[in-house]
Amino acid sequence: MDDRLLLSAKGVNKSFGPTRALIDVDVEIRRGEIRGLIGENGSGKSTFSSIIAGAQKEDSGTFLLNGQPYHPKSMVDAQHQGVSMIIQEMGTIGGITVASNIFAGRLEEFRKLGLLNWKQINSEADKILEEIGAPEIKSTMLIDQLNFEDRKIVEIARALSTKPELLIIDETTTALATKGRRLIYNVIRKLHEQDKAVLFISHDLDELMEVCNTITVLRDGVIIDTLDKEHMSIELMRKLMVGRDLVGSYYRPDFDGSNSGEVVLEAKQISLRPFFRNVDLKLHKGEILGLGGLSDCGMHEIGKVLYGIESPVTGKVTLADGTEIHDSVQAVRHHMAYVSKDRDKESVILSASIQSNIVLPSLRTMKKKFTGFISRRSEDALADEQIKVMSIKCRNGKQLVKELSGGNKQKVVFSKWLGTDSDIFILDCPTRGIDVGVKADMYKLMMELKNRGKSIIMISEELVELIGMSDRIMLFKDGVFTKELMRSETLSEKDVIDYII
Amino acid sequence: MSDVSAVRENQKNLEIQQRLDKKAAQKKMFTNLVPYFGLVFTVVFFTAVTGGRFLSADNMGNLINQGFVLSLIAIGSAFVYAHGGMDFSVGSVSGVAQLVCGIMVVAGVPLPLCLLTTVLVCVLGSFCTAGITLLLGVPVFVGSMCVRTSFAGILKTYTQTKEIAVVYQDYAFMNNAAIKAVILVAVILVAYYLFNYTVIGKYNKAIGGNARTSQQAGVSRKKMVFIAYTLMGICVGIASIFAFFRSGKVSAYSGNGYEFNVMMAIVLGGFPMAGGDRAKISSAIIGALTVTGLTNGLGMWGLDPTLISGVKGVLFVIIVALSYDRSAGKLVS
Repeated sequence: MDDRLLLSAKGVNKSFGPTRALIDVDVEIRRGEIRGLIGENGSGKSTFSSIIAGAQKEDSGTFLLNGQPYHPKSMVDAQHQGVSMIIQEMGTIGGITVASNIFAGRLEEFRKLGLLNWKQINSEADKILEEIGAPEIKSTMLIDQLNFEDRKIVEIARALSTKPELLIIDETTTALATKGRRLIYNVIRKLHEQDKAVLFISHDLDELMEVCNTITVLRDGVIIDTLDKEHMSIELMRKLMVGRDLVGSYYRPDFDGSNSGEVVLEAKQISLRPFFRNVDLKLHKGEILGLGGLSDCGMHEIGKVLYGIESPVTGKVTLADGTEIHDSVQAVRHHMAYVSKDRDKESVILSASIQSNIVLPSLRTMKKKFTGFISRRSEDALADEQIKVMSIKCRNGKQLVKELSGGNKQKVVFSKWLGTDSDIFILDCPTRGIDVGVKADMYKLMMELKNRGKSIIMISEELVELIGMSDRIMLFKDGVFTKELMRSETLSEKDVIDYII
Repeated sequence: MSDVSAVRENQKNLEIQQRLDKKAAQKKMFTNLVPYFGLVFTVVFFTAVTGGRFLSADNMGNLINQGFVLSLIAIGSAFVYAHGGMDFSVGSVSGVAQLVCGIMVVAGVPLPLCLLTTVLVCVLGSFCTAGITLLLGVPVFVGSMCVRTSFAGILKTYTQTKEIAVVYQDYAFMNNAAIKAVILVAVILVAYYLFNYTVIGKYNKAIGGNARTSQQAGVSRKKMVFIAYTLMGICVGIASIFAFFRSGKVSAYSGNGYEFNVMMAIVLGGFPMAGGDRAKISSAIIGALTVTGLTNGLGMWGLDPTLISGVKGVLFVIIVALSYDRSAGKLVS
C-alpha cells in the first residue's frame, strides 16, 4: 500500500431526493498534496467536501484515512480524527471573544479543577493567530468588533487550532480581500511543508492554478478528470467543467462606449447615511453603467435607493418623464427591474416553484380586467417560455427553486424580469457566486438587452467584469463618487484601483 | 471503457435515477395525503370508541354546525396564514360580533341590517389587528393580542349584567341546513378563486414565501395584508351570525377558543405555518373538519371539557413537532 496516501474515497454516492449529487466518486489524496476541486455550482464539490468533513453522511462508499476506515459521525468527530473544514458562509459566533470562537466546543480541554484556565486559552489563541500571520487580531477582542474579513481569519485560526492532517477550504477566498488571501496561501504552504494535505475548493481558476499541485474536476456529480501541474490550463479546466468549448472572450468584444444621450434614469444629490452622500448619476438608453468600488463603499445602497427600496435622506431619483421613484411597487410599474446581491434572501422565493417565481412581477399585467382572473395557461406559457429562453436546468416549472444550483437560481431571477418586459435593470453583483458557463450566458444576455435599447446599471466588486462590460464606470470610495471612466481598449485594473482604495 | 460496458453503465444510472424520482414522487404524495388520513382516522376512531354514536343522526347535526362555523373561519384565515401572519383575536372578535347581532335582533332592527353590522364588526376587528401590526410595525401576535384582550373585555363587561337571548323557533330558518350548505359552497368557491386565480392569493403566498423578494417584485405588502385581514373578517362575520342563531344567546364564552381551533386546523390540514407557495384552501377545510371531529369526539367519548383543551394542546405540539419545516436553520445545506 502507498504509505503516502492520506485519504481515499471509493465509490461514493449521495442523493438529495431525486437529485443525484455524487455518482461513484473515487478520490485519493496524498500527504503534501494541495488538491483543487472544481466544478460548476451543483456539480457536487461542496457535497463531497462536507461528507469528508463529517457535516453529512454518504449514501454509500468507503473512506480510508491513514489506511483506517473513516466515517465521521459529526464535524467535531472529523476534527478529532484530523479533518477540519473552513466553510464558505458559516461565520463565527457573535457576542463572545475571539479565543472563545477559536476553541468553541473544545474549551473543556482547558479545564483545571473545574475552572477554565482563561490565561492559557487566550495565550494559545494568540499564538495561533500569530502563526497564521494575523497578530493584529487579539484573543480577548469581542468577535463583533472585527470586520467580515477578520472574522473569516478567526475561522481559519479555529480550523488550524485542531491541528488537521487534512484541511478543507470551501470557497473561503471569495469572501476575502488581498490580506486574507495572502494569509490563507501562507497557511496552505505551511501545511504542505509539514507534509499535511489540503483540499481547496474555489471558483477562481487562476488562484487554483497558482496554489494547487493537482486539480480534480467534477461535473454533475461525476469525476471528469484529475489534472497534475503540467496539464493544468485555464481553457482546459473551463472546458472540462462546462462540458463544451467556450469560444472567444467572456466579455463583450467591442470598445464603443457611446450612448444615445437620452437619459432614462437620473439621481440628483442623493445621500443615505452612513452609506453614501451627494451622488449624481445619469443612466442613458442602451447604456451599461458600471458602479465600482469596495464592498462597503456605498454602491450597493445606491442601487437600493435608485430602485426605491431605501429612501434617500436628501435628493431624488427621477425617470425620463419626471416621475419620482419612492418605492419598489412604483419602480416595477415603471418597468424597472432589480437583482439583489443576496440572491437567496432577496431575489428568489426558495420554497416556491420556478414558475411562481418567474410570473410574480408579471401577474399584475396578466390579470383580466374586472374579474382579476389569471389563467393557469398564461402562467404556464410565460414560465415555460422563460425556462426555454434562459435554458434553466430543471425538470419542469413546478420544481422548487431551492433545489436549483446557484447559477440556475440566478437565471430564474433574470427570467422574472425579462418576462415582465423591463426597460431599466439595476443589477447588484449579477454574477456573484455563479460559475463560468452561466456567467458567460449572463454577459451575453446583458449585451442583448443593451442592443434592444434597455439600460443597465451593473454594480460589481469585480473590476475585471466592470471593465469588460461597462460603457461607463463610476467609482466610489467611502460613500463618495471619485472618478468616471469611459470604455476603452486600454483601460485596466491599474487605472481603477487608485480611485477605490 | 468499451462501448458495451458504457451502455450498461448508462442503463444502470438511468434505472437509479428512475428509482429516485419514483421515491420522491411517492414521498410527496404521502405528505399530501397525511391530512386526509388524519380526518378519516379521527372519524373511524371516534365512531369505534363511542359505539357508533359519533355518526348518529343526532350528533351529525352537531358536527355539521360546528364544522360549518370552523370551516368558514379557517377559509378566511387561510389568506392571513398564507402571508405568514396569524391571529389570536378571532374568538373575541366573533364574541363581540355575536353580542352586537344579539342586541340588534332583540331590539327589533331589520334582520339584513343586523347581519351586515355583524360582519362589519368582524371586519373592524381584523382591521384593528392589521392596522396595529402594520402602522406601528410590531409583530402580528402583539397586534392581535391587543385586539383580543380589548374585545374580550367588551364582551365580558356587557354579558356580566345583561342576558341576551332570542327564541330559537323565531329564527329557525337561520339554522336551515340547506341555507348553510349554499353559503359554505359559495364561500369555498369564491375563496378558491381568489386564492388560486387572482393576485390576492398569489401575492399573499409570495409574501409568506419571502417578504423582501415579493416587495422587490412590486408587491405592496401593506395592501395585501389588509386585504387578507378583510377577507378573514368577512368570513368570521358570516360564521358569527350562524353561531349566534345556533345557540340563540350570547355569553362571555361566545366565540371562545376559535383562534386555537383555527390554528390547529391550519396545522392538521397540512397548511404551512409560515405560509408560502404550498398553502392551499383545501388544507384549511380538511383541518377544520378534523378539529371539529376531534373536539366533538373527545367530548362524546366522555372527556371532561377542560381536559379536551389539554388533549388538543398536546396533539398540537406533536403535530407541529412532526411537520414544522426547520431546514432554514441548518448550517450546512
